Amino acid sequence: MSRILVAEDDPHILRLISMWLQREGHVVFEARNGLAARDLVRAEPVDILVSDINMPGMDGLALIESVIGEGCVRRGVIVLTNRWDHAEIRDRLADWGVTVLPKPFSPSRLSEVVESLAAGRPTTARMAPPPVSERGAC
Amino acid sequence: MWRNGLLPEALSLGFVVFAFVGLAAAYLVCDRGWRGQARSVEQSATETLARTWAALLASRGDADQAPGELLGECVRGVPYLRRVQWTAPDGSIAFEWPRPLALVVGLAERPASGTSATGPAPLVATAAVSAPGGANLGLLTVEREMPAADGRTFLLITWGAAAGFVLFAFAVFHQRLRRHLRPAAAIEHSLTSYAAGIEKELLTLTLSDSLGAAARGWNQLIEQLAAMQREQETGRAGDATGNVLARFENAVFRRVLDRLPFGVLCITPEQRVSYANGAAATLLGRSLNEMVHRPVSMAIHNPAVQQGIAGVQAGSGSGMSVDQSTGQGDQETTLRFRVLPAPAPPAGGDAVVTVEDISQLRESQRARDNFLYHVTHELRTPLTNIHAYAETLTQPGFDDEQTRKECYNVLISETRRLSRLVEDILSISQLEVGTARLDVGEVELARLVRQMVQDSLGTADEKKIDLTLSLPPKLPKIKGDKQRLSVLLNNLIGNAVKYTPENGKVHVSVELEGQRILISVRDTGIGIAPEAQPHVFEKFYRAADDAVQMLPGTGLGLALAREVARLHGGDILLESERGKGSTFTVELPNSAAAAAEVPER
Repeated sequence: MSRILVAEDDPHILRLISMWLQREGHVVFEARNGLAARDLVRAEPVDILVSDINMPGMDGLALIESVIGEGCVRRGVIVLTNRWDHAEIRDRLADWGVTVLPKPFSPSRLSEVVESLAAGRPTTARMAPPPVSERGAC
Repeated sequence: MWRNGLLPEALSLGFVVFAFVGLAAAYLVCDRGWRGQARSVEQSATETLARTWAALLASRGDADQAPGELLGECVRGVPYLRRVQWTAPDGSIAFEWPRPLALVVGLAERPASGTSATGPAPLVATAAVSAPGGANLGLLTVEREMPAADGRTFLLITWGAAAGFVLFAFAVFHQRLRRHLRPAAAIEHSLTSYAAGIEKELLTLTLSDSLGAAARGWNQLIEQLAAMQREQETGRAGDATGNVLARFENAVFRRVLDRLPFGVLCITPEQRVSYANGAAATLLGRSLNEMVHRPVSMAIHNPAVQQGIAGVQAGSGSGMSVDQSTGQGDQETTLRFRVLPAPAPPAGGDAVVTVEDISQLRESQRARDNFLYHVTHELRTPLTNIHAYAETLTQPGFDDEQTRKECYNVLISETRRLSRLVEDILSISQLEVGTARLDVGEVELARLVRQMVQDSLGTADEKKIDLTLSLPPKLPKIKGDKQRLSVLLNNLIGNAVKYTPENGKVHVSVELEGQRILISVRDTGIGIAPEAQPHVFEKFYRAADDAVQMLPGTGLGLALAREVARLHGGDILLESERGKGSTFTVELPNSAAAAAEVPER
């Protein structure tokens, strides 16, 4: 069982991801935008972050850079995006070892990636250790 | 013929000749005057001499000393004396000097007398010798030479000084004349060299002095001449073929080239521009004079293009294309250079460069890319939902009744959203391109507006929004496309309900105002920020406001609504204050009133 935060502005997708992850027995937190997600994760660190990129307020890229930098996500980050430039996103987040799933995505594929991150198995991405000095932020 | 170039020289020469003639005349007059005066002085001196000696002879007539001896003593040492003769009353010569015997010696002593034949006439004076008693003792004649002209030295010095001054004045005058007439001389020189074929181009003058205007005139003249020359060259090319038709065609081609909307330049193997048309001058920001017959680097600064020209002329390539952008943002201009070989037998090697402004093309490509980006982005959201929920239905863990129902509902609503989106995109594209045709019929506006309000009542009730409608007692039927007008109203009322928080108000009203029908949708919603207001009717525009971004929307509704209003000959006006609400007013022409005024035939 992992603690997972899902940041997604589309209510249907948010609901769907929650349903799937809860079925696997994880504890899921929901956020409709980047700022809400950051506040949640700062209050209590999570194991995995599943985030959209285009969101009102703080976008996914800023959210991920912020929370990983602060060491608030322990195991890994999965990005869901319908933006054309996944390669660019992947490059920008390469240092953090982020898995990018383009939309439309398959919920079962998402589920697989979450399970492998939760089990600590190497996925297509690896989590970089957060800087020690910033661990205290969470 | 007036020859400007020789003007300074002619004027200077005239001045010098005039000055010297004047000086010479002055000298002659002075010399003559002086000579006359000197003669009279010498004459009176001679007369005085004669009188004195006559008196001396008379007074010493009785003395021991012979009068001849006395006179001999007197005349000794007197300058310029030529002859002294005392003639007695009986006609005999009592005394004569020089003595006839000593004449040869005297001649030797006085060489001046030898020149007397050519020199001025001798001065002669006679005086009667009278004894104190009154007795006549004879006549004394004294003859003197005119003394050498000592005084003329002064005159010569004066004359020399005057001549020197004249020369100096001439030098100054000449200098000034040249400076003032230099452009004229330069023009003369330029014309002569040009006519002789030494120079290929006429001189361009740059003057800021009083001759500036003349310089401008001159420069205009060369510009015209250069144009004529180009015209002539085309004609000459025609001559070379010895074909009247070819000459005619050349002139036609030239005119065609001159009027092409894109730039054309001809480059010779020597890397010079042999021809450029007006569009090339405009696009490259230079005048034709600054380009034609000059190195290509003066016209085109792009090294890639220059390399391309060299390559094409060397025969290594069939041409190339280079885009060059200058400026930033809205000011950005992109020029596309195309280099093509234009082999001219036998030596060959001309190159043709075309220049086009492709800024607009770039801009429309960017707009198209932007449109596609937004369209695919908007399509992916419902597609993602449909894909994910459909997959969920196939999974064993989600087979309870409630989950299945939820999945079906999402599938239905997202499919509807997808089809509406596709319809909107199609409509707006057609409306924008102008291929859409209104299906015009009679529309009962009152009924249409009432129906649209009723359709939104359900959503309004969910948010406890007070949605009201006021209609005038009698509303005419108008001519319009009922389907598209309903989309327009639905978008406006739907937006009002969507962007109005719970417990707000939305009021729809229709008014008749002369030739116009005004349909207003007023809400107490979040309002639109002033900076966003000019953009709300743009495609895919959504205000960068969290309150807007949190709500679903494509940014197509208002763009579509305005296109529909405009196609009906109307428009949509917006009044809004952030935090207080917005009013969208649709203005439509009252086609019924218009029809009443212009009765059908």
